[in-house]
Amino acid sequence: MSQKPNTPQPPRWAERLLERIIAPHLREELLGDLYELFQKRVRRSGSSQARLLYGLDALLLLHPRLWRRNSADQQYRYPQTTDYSTPALTDMLSNHFKIALRKLNRHRSHALINVLSLSLGMACVMLIFTLITYHLSFNTFHAHQDRIYRIYTEFHDDKVRYNTGVPNPLGTAFRNEQPAVERVGRVAFLKKRVVEVSPAKKFEEDIAFADPEFLEIFNFPLVQGNPKTVLHERNTALLTDRVARKFFGDEDPIGKLVHVDDSLVVRITGVLRDLPPNTDFRSEMFIPFDNLKDHTPWMVEKDWWFSVNSEMQSFTRLKPGTSAATIDNTVLSAISDKYYNKDMAKYFRFKLQPLADVHFNPNLKGYTEKKNLWAFGLIGFFLIVTTCVNFINLSTAQALGRSKEIGVRKVLGSRRGALFWQFMTETAIITGLATVFAFMLAYLALPAVNHLFEIELSLNPLNNVYLVIFLPILLLIVIFFSGTYPGLILARFPPLLALKGKLSGRQTGGFWLRKSLVITQFAISQLLIIGTLVIANQLRYSRQADMGFQKDAMVILHVPDNQKTKINTMRSQFSELTGVENVTFFDTAPASEEVGSTGIRFDSRTESENFPISIKAADDHYVATFGLQILAGRNLKPSDTIREYIVNETTVKALGLAANQDVIGKNASINGRKGTIVGVMKDFHNRSFHTAIDPLCITTRSENYSHCGVKVSLANLEPTLAGLEKNWSAMYPSSIFTYRFLDEDIARFYKLDNMILWLIQAFSIIAIAIGCLGLYGLVAFMAAQKTKEIGVRKVLGASVSGILWLFGKEFFQLLLIAFGLAAPLAWWVMSRWLNDFVYRIELGAGIFVLAIAITSMIAVLTVGYRSLRAALANPVKSLRSE
Amino acid sequence: MQMRKILFITMKGDQLGEFEELVLLTIAFLYDDAYSVAVVEALSQRLERPMSLGAVHRTMQRLEEKGLVCSRFGESTAERGGRRKRLFTVSVAGEQALQEVRRIRNALWDGIPITAFGGSRS
Repeated sequence: MSQKPNTPQPPRWAERLLERIIAPHLREELLGDLYELFQKRVRRSGSSQARLLYGLDALLLLHPRLWRRNSADQQYRYPQTTDYSTPALTDMLSNHFKIALRKLNRHRSHALINVLSLSLGMACVMLIFTLITYHLSFNTFHAHQDRIYRIYTEFHDDKVRYNTGVPNPLGTAFRNEQPAVERVGRVAFLKKRVVEVSPAKKFEEDIAFADPEFLEIFNFPLVQGNPKTVLHERNTALLTDRVARKFFGDEDPIGKLVHVDDSLVVRITGVLRDLPPNTDFRSEMFIPFDNLKDHTPWMVEKDWWFSVNSEMQSFTRLKPGTSAATIDNTVLSAISDKYYNKDMAKYFRFKLQPLADVHFNPNLKGYTEKKNLWAFGLIGFFLIVTTCVNFINLSTAQALGRSKEIGVRKVLGSRRGALFWQFMTETAIITGLATVFAFMLAYLALPAVNHLFEIELSLNPLNNVYLVIFLPILLLIVIFFSGTYPGLILARFPPLLALKGKLSGRQTGGFWLRKSLVITQFAISQLLIIGTLVIANQLRYSRQADMGFQKDAMVILHVPDNQKTKINTMRSQFSELTGVENVTFFDTAPASEEVGSTGIRFDSRTESENFPISIKAADDHYVATFGLQILAGRNLKPSDTIREYIVNETTVKALGLAANQDVIGKNASINGRKGTIVGVMKDFHNRSFHTAIDPLCITTRSENYSHCGVKVSLANLEPTLAGLEKNWSAMYPSSIFTYRFLDEDIARFYKLDNMILWLIQAFSIIAIAIGCLGLYGLVAFMAAQKTKEIGVRKVLGASVSGILWLFGKEFFQLLLIAFGLAAPLAWWVMSRWLNDFVYRIELGAGIFVLAIAITSMIAVLTVGYRSLRAALANPVKSLRSE
Repeated sequence: MQMRKILFITMKGDQLGEFEELVLLTIAFLYDDAYSVAVVEALSQRLERPMSLGAVHRTMQRLEEKGLVCSRFGESTAERGGRRKRLFTVSVAGEQALQEVRRIRNALWDGIPITAFGGSRS
């Protein structure tokens, strides 16, 4: 085809595309037709439009008929046209496919190892991916969510502390002060309140007392009820569909009356759609905020700015274009200045927290930190790397076995590109199979994962767009990373050497590469093993270490109503039960994350101390029941109001006093209430091991008692618990009896750590399993390669152990190098993790030794069997052939 | 089995789509110079709507599979970049099919009562 430089030409891309895909018998006429049309159009309407129409025509030609091969009778009709034409793209593809299937069928065990290890790794990655997207999706379904903020409190003294709540008048004050705000909604989340539908049907529900604006700010749509009036009228309530069904079955809930905690009777006026799984606000019953003063009056004490309850929260939606920082600096600081005196205004600061931060801020009770998610992502990445490495390892090793095939193909005219794509097709088939398996595995593992994390993940590609995008990308990445290198190696074989079977390690990809891949795998396994060991040790330490108080055999009961007479009756009734050793009433257990803290003024000092002190209200039995030790002075005397304090050693030190005796008998004003310090307790851990022991005091104040602690004997627990329930239910007929064990509560401090431990255990087992599969494949290959060498050595008198060492020394070298890489990295990562604990274990050499011992053992087990078989083989057999 | 096969063949012959009929007629109309570009141009001119080469070409392929047209390669020209064109002629079966369609249509036209179109039909 001669082309004058100036004649307009049809677009190259379209021509190329058609040339590749048109079936040969149609190629000439169709390209001719298009060219003719193009020339005519150039004359009629100019070259640019003609090019455009050419492209359009080319695209409209795409149809199966275009590449369908002519059937036999058509071939008869056009005998000459197929001669010497280049084959269509799909021809080679189907050939690749056929060859690949034959290959996989021939090497079934090899294919199985590959599919297994790939699917294990990919299943984990799928789960990790859904987990991460699940957490990132939290609170994202609200309209204008970038303008929604929670107002929180910062306490500024020597260090800053955070609280999700605000003083109860703040919401109204903020609403009155601020024109740049669209909506402000106050809400109080009350956990586990008793809702009575009928005397026989009582349920524990989390209730939110909320302003109507709460539902305007957040996207919790109504399915029944009038959105304009719900939550406006007092003594009404909204339920979610799920709860409405639970309460009333299939009856219409609207207009029904329910009792809440004896103090409220509310009428159901609306039903909300069920909460989506990805919201942090899990209350399923809403009552107008104004009703809160009938339910828990102390939470809404008028103009009381000095206490902050973490469940008393305020949300706001700003007007577009308003920045949170300006509100922080102007309006909110003005509120502090207006409602507090000068000192206190510095102490109480209010800030806006973006809604996107609510799920992730650990200071403000966020569920998890984002860095944990990225850590999971990293583990997922490691797993994918191990699987790909495994695949590369096995394939390059196998490549040697295929040298004859490659040689023949090359002699017959295969080009490098064709060989490369052939190998990629094989990889694609294996990976595709593995993806299907992986998806099934992940699907099967999902209920267990959901149970472990107490979440509702779903692996449904139909309603998770990200998953739909992620799966093909994962597939492509795995195909690309694991297929490219072996494919290139294969395609590069020199044909003559390959045919003669004289390929050496040099052509099959440098041995150093395979070594470094094995090192990577070992290093990842060791990293995960060390992580598992450290976390397990620290958690065992946290559970078993002496907290400084008695935590076993301690039953904690809820006290719904703390009238003096009821408490005293209960105490005497409980004490008479067999198996009860001691009874105490208090607001929080010795170790508890829910603890109030306040300021202290000591003795005759003029200024308040600049540290906060935690305060617990408890009766005189507290010390004895929990086995706290009094180091100086004496225990509290029975009382119902604040008269005396006992403090811990940390308080004495924080006050700057040398001896415990120095505080005894002195007056102190704590939370603005005067009392005498009568005793000093030995320090005990009042929170988890994540935080240091706070200055702490205990005082009597019966109106705060909300829990009852009963020390029981474990020998005969059942009747004792039954007795407790009987007495308690008689005392509080409208409430539901529940009890907890203190040690379980303490174990719950480490819930997140336990999850991490469980996960990292699972991941390291999987990584090790994948690594073992790869190692086994590699040894099997090495053994096959070295058959002759072993035969010669044995004939010359080598012992079995000597031959075993031949295999062993190679892997031990690699293992040691891997350890050299993994150990410092693991040390760095794990010491950062341990930094989160104030009381922690030392990162000793023992853990590292144990880790290398475990990996060596696994390596020996994997390598041992196969190499032993090679070493025991009869040399006559291996040398006789050839 | 035998019955079904016969039925299938007749069905195939009988089922002449509207567009197929048009293309077939155009091929007959162009007589000696019937190839895809000519058919595209003739048709789009008469129907006054643009037409893609792909649609026409596929229809012609289908017609050939049904045995309604025969084809041969023509000469190559510079206008086609040196490529040959495929020329089509209507086969005997094709002519019969066209006649059949015409007969059915005529019979229908003749059967329409005069008043059906409001008496406007002359």
